[in-house]
Amino acid sequence: MYTAIERIGEKSIRTAKSFYETLAFSSLVFFKMFDRTSYNSAMRMVLVNQIYFTSVQVLPLFIAVSILFGSPMVGITLQVLQHFGLADRMGSVLMGFVVTELSPFMTVLLIALRSSSAINAEIAVMKVNQELKTLDVFGIDVLDYLFLPRIINGILSIVCLSSLFSILALASGALFSRYLFNMSINDYTTLLFLSADFSDLFILLVKCILLGFFITLIPIRFGLRATTHELTSIPISVLNGMVKVFIAIVVIEVLSLLLRFI
Amino acid sequence: MKLFPREEILEQALAVISEEHRVRLGLVAMDVPLISNLDILGNLALIKQFRENLPKREAESLALSYLQRFDMERIAYRRNPNLSAEERFCVMLIRAVLVPEAFVVIDRPLKIVPDLQDNRFFHDMMTRVADSWSSCVIFDYPWNRERYEDVPVDIDEL
Repeated sequence: MYTAIERIGEKSIRTAKSFYETLAFSSLVFFKMFDRTSYNSAMRMVLVNQIYFTSVQVLPLFIAVSILFGSPMVGITLQVLQHFGLADRMGSVLMGFVVTELSPFMTVLLIALRSSSAINAEIAVMKVNQELKTLDVFGIDVLDYLFLPRIINGILSIVCLSSLFSILALASGALFSRYLFNMSINDYTTLLFLSADFSDLFILLVKCILLGFFITLIPIRFGLRATTHELTSIPISVLNGMVKVFIAIVVIEVLSLLLRFI
Repeated sequence: MKLFPREEILEQALAVISEEHRVRLGLVAMDVPLISNLDILGNLALIKQFRENLPKREAESLALSYLQRFDMERIAYRRNPNLSAEERFCVMLIRAVLVPEAFVVIDRPLKIVPDLQDNRFFHDMMTRVADSWSSCVIFDYPWNRERYEDVPVDIDEL
């Protein structure tokens, strides 16, 4: 009995400590983002490379996924609305469901699967190979050179790719609305503009920023937990990091939903 | 050159000297490897880009000029695993001298180039960049002394 309670206590303390450390690291990174000296030539080069690898290289796949997944979702949604005689609610459903919920969720899933795992493995490999020690010896701030470009890139990628997903899904919505409701493009866009709620869009922006921030920050933190010279610590660090990324996505999604309904 | 009778004494002295000259330390050591996801030019340019905020093109051209001193321009776009031990030592030495007012410390170079045949290798390599450091010291053991024929640094056996 005592052992069980002890174990629960230990686990709670460990979780609380890890949460606190993540928050402390987040605030450190956050303030660094606004420090002009962080943006030196090397950092800018890494940032451009990261944006290319995360947002540009993924574009063909992302556009294909957006069309293949977004279009049927919009089509089915509009068909259900027609079936229940809710055609007048089309604008708010598209803005509320596709733009503010579906787009960031699909984007963050793809980026987390592709880039977060890569970041986690990269940092862990650098730790195991002592390359982080090299940077430290040569006076290169790892926060500026390695972490900040990846985190800024995460934020930019999620915001831009979510917008792209929304645009593609709404464009296919225009086709379905013409076919199902005989609605002109002009009427469709007017309806969407009228249905756009500023507070929802603000929450969407904040959600995208938080998702981008944490799906890159958490893999970095877990990559740093790999042990020098121990190759076997790399998969463990990636496994733990990706589970925490998933938890972070769920928590941010739930919080944003709660905020929208308050 | 400082020759130490035992590993722990050497490592202690290395830690002290590294801390003393932290700002301008250019360390050449097996456990300070090249960054594996950057090519050689990237590894060298990084020091100038980060430490002196030099634009990428300028930093790379400077790095290339150092590689030319060793007739090694051909390795500029290779990565660490594709280098021979001798090439790796040269790149690490160039990286060290690129630190502004470099205090170059070469820690047991034979760990980086274990199968060295030519005892004048270190002399040849070091004389090519001797104008670029403010001072240089080699840390090793007395029994390796003959491997450093004519190196351009004073020898101090402890």
